[in-house]
Amino acid sequence: MATQSSHIEFDPGFEDDRLRAAWYAVVAVLVAVGAYATYLRLTGGMASTNLTSIVPWGAWVAFYIYFVGLSAGAFLVSTMANVFEVEGMHRIDRDALFAAVISMAVALLFVWIDLGRMDRMYFPFLWRQLTSALSWEVHAYVAYIGILVTELYFSMRIDLARVADRTSGLRKRFYAALALGRLDTSEASQAFDRRWLKRAGVLGIPLAIFMVHGGTGVLFAVSKARPYWNSGLFPVIFVISALLSGTALVMVIYVLRTRLFDGESVDPDLLDRLAQLLIGFIVIDAALTAIETFIAIASVHPHEIETWQVIMYGPMSWSFWWFMIGFSWVFPMVLLSKKSWRRTPAVMVLAGLSVVVGIVAVRFNIVVPAQVMPVMEGLPHGSYFPTLVEWGTSVGMIGVGLLLYTLGAETLPLTPLTGGDHE
Amino acid sequence: MGCLPGETPNQTVWVSPFPPVSTYSYVYDLQDQPAGAERTARRRDDRRRVVAMSTADDGDTLPGIPNVGKADLDAMVENERPDPRDELADVEADTDLGVEMAEDAQRVARGELSGDEYWEKHDEAAAAEFGEAYRETPNPAVDAGDQTVSTETAESLSCAVGSMDTVSTESAQVEGDGPEGGIGAGDQKWGMVIDLQKCVGCDSCTVACKSENRTPPGVSYNVVMEEEHGEFPNVTRTNVPRPCMQCDNPPCVQVCPVSATYKMDDGVVNIDYDRCIGCRYCNIACPYGARYFDFGENYDDEVDEAGEITSPEYGVDRGPREEGKSPIGNIRKCSFCTHRLERGEEPACVETCVGDARNMGDLENPDSDVAKMADSSRAFQLKEDEGTDPNVYYLK
Repeated sequence: MATQSSHIEFDPGFEDDRLRAAWYAVVAVLVAVGAYATYLRLTGGMASTNLTSIVPWGAWVAFYIYFVGLSAGAFLVSTMANVFEVEGMHRIDRDALFAAVISMAVALLFVWIDLGRMDRMYFPFLWRQLTSALSWEVHAYVAYIGILVTELYFSMRIDLARVADRTSGLRKRFYAALALGRLDTSEASQAFDRRWLKRAGVLGIPLAIFMVHGGTGVLFAVSKARPYWNSGLFPVIFVISALLSGTALVMVIYVLRTRLFDGESVDPDLLDRLAQLLIGFIVIDAALTAIETFIAIASVHPHEIETWQVIMYGPMSWSFWWFMIGFSWVFPMVLLSKKSWRRTPAVMVLAGLSVVVGIVAVRFNIVVPAQVMPVMEGLPHGSYFPTLVEWGTSVGMIGVGLLLYTLGAETLPLTPLTGGDHE
Repeated sequence: MGCLPGETPNQTVWVSPFPPVSTYSYVYDLQDQPAGAERTARRRDDRRRVVAMSTADDGDTLPGIPNVGKADLDAMVENERPDPRDELADVEADTDLGVEMAEDAQRVARGELSGDEYWEKHDEAAAAEFGEAYRETPNPAVDAGDQTVSTETAESLSCAVGSMDTVSTESAQVEGDGPEGGIGAGDQKWGMVIDLQKCVGCDSCTVACKSENRTPPGVSYNVVMEEEHGEFPNVTRTNVPRPCMQCDNPPCVQVCPVSATYKMDDGVVNIDYDRCIGCRYCNIACPYGARYFDFGENYDDEVDEAGEITSPEYGVDRGPREEGKSPIGNIRKCSFCTHRLERGEEPACVETCVGDARNMGDLENPDSDVAKMADSSRAFQLKEDEGTDPNVYYLK
């Protein structure tokens, strides 16, 4: 859609072939490392981790909630376009939705590898427990993926039909199949798609906020045995930090894909809008975390105090100060502070990546410290740092996500063919 | 058949000098137990099996263990053996029949007589002698793996078939649990009371538990938490043994996404190893740290073939411990030794406690010792404000 008015040009994928080769090489290395680590995990069982009965949840769970958060955040950004119809956001609608789908798939990979009995991964659909947040979550995730795919379909269907119309042979059949055979490109069909896109989005918003990510927060918050998690504000912070990471991710993807795939220039107004959104989420996230911390410390509950001491002064305190405070709040805030920087793609990519990396530490600092303190005086303290197998498998699963995303970005019309907004 | 007059499965009569692991419980000769001649036959069968096992191992000269000749041991046993007629004279049952059956049982053991012939010869007389109880009580002697009585004969005698463990557990269920039956369906509400004034902190309970339940490294259903308070010289120390609390409102049950862990009628919290997916959410949720994940480690470096023997936890005999087979990859915890309770035995920790600090019983029976102790002003539960309402009480 680079150039001439009415003519629709569809050429997804990297602009630069050398860059494409380099990128796939990087992804291949990640996936290969992950494959070997997964082999060690499968043959060595859970003993290949540094997990214990004292710290039973580690890196895999942290990455699982991280990717659920990324997904929920990216999805909620997409609803700004397709439900709330915020001006100028349609450009990133599909980017956000597709990133949300991939993130969710990666999140489920992390859940899967974390199971002691991976062969029983389908059991939660055979047997349930009404009082178990996890039981509800598993179903919410499936429903949520259904919503995401439905939305992506209605958002992209008309362009799939257009592409099918302009291509022939196998490619035509491929795009026609993705459009589920609905190849009508009339105004009426587009209106139908938009209506259903909005409906699915309306259904998806509460699902994403309360069930998928709020629910994942509830999963932790109900653990009365762990006072650090056991708070009503906890699931709310979960959702806010999800929005923070999701917005940052969408911003990074928007800039990179526009530059490297579409070979276009970034819309500074859209970038500024995303950047301002990011500022808002950083402020809310930091403020709510501060309130949560204050309530915990003011309770003078020994378990709370000691857990916060572990976080702030323990052996892993660097992840709190550098990554959580530094990378997800302070550093991006500095970059976002100036209007001219907010309109500069390179600076915003840096700010976005900083948040995306920083939130990983937020997730680790949620999962691990609460398990370091023993649940009863007299029981041993926990300590945990992931093994190479855990790091390797994590890298591999992230690599799979990057691979799936790149393949999608190289074949699907993620950028609306008729340009930014709904005409 | 195989029916021990007057013996209900809940009154277990055999005792073992060995750690209470069921498979080892018959290693020594029980033929002189004064409870009827038939037991002789049963024990004979088992003894033969055990002897065969030990010769196969060629365990005569184990390093570090003095080699006591088998003949010496046999002589010692013979020496200790009371006269059968004297013994049987104390019992109501017919002495002649008893002696005759016992002698034939020895013939079965030596292979001079088949199990089928044995029962053909004695079934009628025994039924006449012992009356109804004879037919009602199952006989665990008929071992499915290495049985000395053919399945047809066993059926004709309406006899239970299976290993000792399964038969004893099943019979307990058949007898006591009403129409539903099944493990843990008992009328009791099991509770444990631990007297902290009597606990000396010897950790015997932990050892007995590991030995009974054959738990792998990193899994210890029972631990003794040692708390020291004060500063020298005014120091006190409290030892708090911690099994699973078998809570009335168990957080672990609440969070399990597949309902693999649940309360049984007798109050014990069960784990279904065939359903548990190993997500470890219960491990996170337990306020007592009583749940352990089985990472698949073994004591192979310490003990040869450590995984050959497993405990029939929750009444299920899972055979040798194997990679990728439950309970590896599952969550595990104390079951109040459900498999022992079902046989009418106390949990291993209670049985072994040197100071008699641990007590087991029915909390719903107001006359039981544990109910009285749990009602005393000394009684308390761990983390009472969690609302979990444990069925383990402590006496301060």
